[in-house]
Amino acid sequence: MSKTKWGPKLFNSILPVLLAFGIGAVVMLCIGQNPLEAYRIMLGKSLFTEKGFLNTLHYAAPLVLTGLAIAITFKANIFNMGVEGQLLFGGFFAGIVGAYVPIADPLLHKLLCFGVGMLCGVIFAMVPALLKAYFHVDQMVVTLTLNYAMAKVLEYLATGPFREAGSGYVCTPTVLDSAMFYRLGNSRITSFAFVALAIFLAVWFMMRRTKLGYEITAIGRNPEFAEATGVRVHRKILMLMAISGALSGIAGTGFMLSEKFKYTLTFSGNPGLGWDGMLIALLGRHSPAGILIAAVFYSALKTGADNINMYTTVPKEIVAVIQSVMILFLAVQFLNERYGLLDRLKARKEVETDAAAR
Amino acid sequence: MQLLGNILYDSVYHTTPILLCVLGGIFAYKANVLNIALEGFMLSASFVAMLVTQLTGSLVLAYLAAIASCLLLWLIFSYMGVTKRGNVIVIGLAINMLVPAVAGFVLQYMNTANLTVPWLNVADLKINIPLIQDIPLLGKMLSGHPITTYVAFLLIPVMGILMFRTRTGVYIRVVGENEDAANSLGLPTNRYKYIAVLIGALCAALAGVNLSLERMALFTNNMTAGRGFIAIAAIYCGRGAPLPSAMYAIVFGVARALAVNLGLFAGPAAALIDIVPYVVMTLVLTAVSVIKRRNNKLRGFQVG
Repeated sequence: MSKTKWGPKLFNSILPVLLAFGIGAVVMLCIGQNPLEAYRIMLGKSLFTEKGFLNTLHYAAPLVLTGLAIAITFKANIFNMGVEGQLLFGGFFAGIVGAYVPIADPLLHKLLCFGVGMLCGVIFAMVPALLKAYFHVDQMVVTLTLNYAMAKVLEYLATGPFREAGSGYVCTPTVLDSAMFYRLGNSRITSFAFVALAIFLAVWFMMRRTKLGYEITAIGRNPEFAEATGVRVHRKILMLMAISGALSGIAGTGFMLSEKFKYTLTFSGNPGLGWDGMLIALLGRHSPAGILIAAVFYSALKTGADNINMYTTVPKEIVAVIQSVMILFLAVQFLNERYGLLDRLKARKEVETDAAAR
Repeated sequence: MQLLGNILYDSVYHTTPILLCVLGGIFAYKANVLNIALEGFMLSASFVAMLVTQLTGSLVLAYLAAIASCLLLWLIFSYMGVTKRGNVIVIGLAINMLVPAVAGFVLQYMNTANLTVPWLNVADLKINIPLIQDIPLLGKMLSGHPITTYVAFLLIPVMGILMFRTRTGVYIRVVGENEDAANSLGLPTNRYKYIAVLIGALCAALAGVNLSLERMALFTNNMTAGRGFIAIAAIYCGRGAPLPSAMYAIVFGVARALAVNLGLFAGPAAALIDIVPYVVMTLVLTAVSVIKRRNNKLRGFQVG
C-alpha cells in the first residue's frame, strides 16, 4: 500500500469548488450582477463575522454527522444513499417523542429523543443492510428509492394522525420546552454543536485507530480478500449500516431539537441534509478531518444564501446551482490519486526516453 | 362508473411519463450505466418546453428546445460518467439537483412561482379517436390523450425490436454484460454507452413535455415528483427487458391513479399507495436475488 498523497487529493477537492464558483460567477455576470460582490457578502458574512460564524457552526453540526454517515459506508464501498430517509425518520419520531412524552427533566427527555431518533435511523438502515448482507440485493438502488417511500410515509403521518390541529399548514406539534436545545448568546448556536463535535471525535477515533476502522478500508478495497483474511464481511456490513443509520438519526434528532422543533413537509430543506452530507463526504474525500472542514465550508454557503437574498438582487438559488455543479465535478477524479501528477509526468518521460533509446 | 372511468383514464395518463422514462432508461440499465438522472432530464424538458412556449408561442420550437436541453444534459452526463469514468450515481444525483436549481433561479429571476400559457387550451392537444371514443369505459380510457401518450405505448414494441433485433441493441447489451469482452472484440464500448444514455435522454424529453405542456400547460418546480425514480424501480423490477419493465410501469401508473382518485375518499391514507412502486421493487429484487443464489454453495461473501 503506497502512502497517501495529499497533493492530488487536495487538488481534486479544490478544483471542483473553484470551477463551481467560476460557473456561478458567469451566471451572475449574465444577469448583470457583480459576482465578486455577491461572493464577498455570501462568505464574508457567514465566515468572518462572529455571529455569522457561530450560525455557520450551528448549521454545520447536523451536516458533519450526515457527512460521516455517508463517508463511513462509501469508504467500505457499501453506498448508503438512504441517509436522507434515515434522517427524516429519526427526526420525525424524535419530534413526536419530544412533543408527546412529558418528561420534566431536560437531560432525560433529550436522551430519550436521541435514543428514539437513533433507533429509527438504525431500523430504516437495517432493511437494505439485511437484504445486502444475506440476499446480495443491490443496496444502492434500494436505499436510494426507499428515501421516497419514507418521505411519503412521513407525509401521511404528518398530514394524518400526528397533525397539529390548530396550525394553518401541515406540521406536527412543537416539541416541549424540556426537549429543546436553547440558543447560546445571540447567535443560533446551541449545545447540540458540542454533541456533534463529540460524536465526530468518536467516529474519527473509530476510523483511524480501531480494528473496525481498518476493516472498513479493507472491505472497501477488496471484500473477497477481506473475507478470506478473516473479516466477517456480512456482519461488518450490518454494523456499518447500523452506525451510518444511527449517525443519520442523531443528525435528524439534533436538527429537530435545535432548529426546527416540529416536522414540516420541508423539514430537511431542498436539497435535504442527507444529500448535503453526500457532497460533504465527497468534498472531504471520506476522511474525517476533511469532512469537518467541508461541512463548515458548506454550511457557510448555505447561510450565505440567506445573506445573498437579503443584501443583493441575485436570486438565492444561485447557491443551489453552485452546490450541484460542485457535486457534478466532484464525481470525477481530475487527477489520479494513487499516482500523482508528478509521477505521471515522470512515467511519461521514462516511456519517451525508452522509445528514443530504441 | 364515473369513478371507474376516471381511474382508467388516469391510469393511462399517469403511466405515460413513467413508461417513457422506463423505455428510455432500460438501455442505460443494460449498458451498465444506470441513469438515475432521468428525473432531472424530465424536469429540464418540462421547464424548457414551457419557457419556450411562453417566450415564442411556438409549440414546435418548444418540443425542439426540450429535446435540445436533454441533449445538453446527455452530453454532460455521458462525458462525466463514460469518458471521465466518474461515479454515475453521484453524477445523476448532481444533475437531479442542478436542474431544479437552474429552474428555480430562472423562475426567481422572472419573479414568478410557475410558468403558464393562458392562450393554450390543453383540450386542443388531446386526440379523440373516432368510433373508439363511443365505447363505454374503454373509449374513455383510450381516447382523449395527447399525442405523446400514444407514442409512448407504440414505443413498447419498437424498443423491444431495437433492443433484441438490431445490432445497436445487441451491442449495447454486450457492452453492459461484459465490457472487457466487448473491448477485446474491438467494439467501441464508450460509443455504445453514449447511445444507450441518448435513447434515455430523448424519451425523458418526451416525458417532460408530456408532463408540463401537454397535460396542463403549466410548469411548477419539482413537478416531476419522483417519477424518474419510480421508472428506475420499474426498470429494476423488469430487469431491463422492455415488455416486463413496461408492465411494471403500467402497474405503477395504475397505483398512482388509484392514489389520486381514492384520495377523495380515503384522505391522507391514499398517499400511502404511492409507496407501492418502491416496496414492489424491493420485494422483486429480493426474490430475484434469492432465486439466483439458491444453489450457491460458495463459502463467505461474494461481490455482486
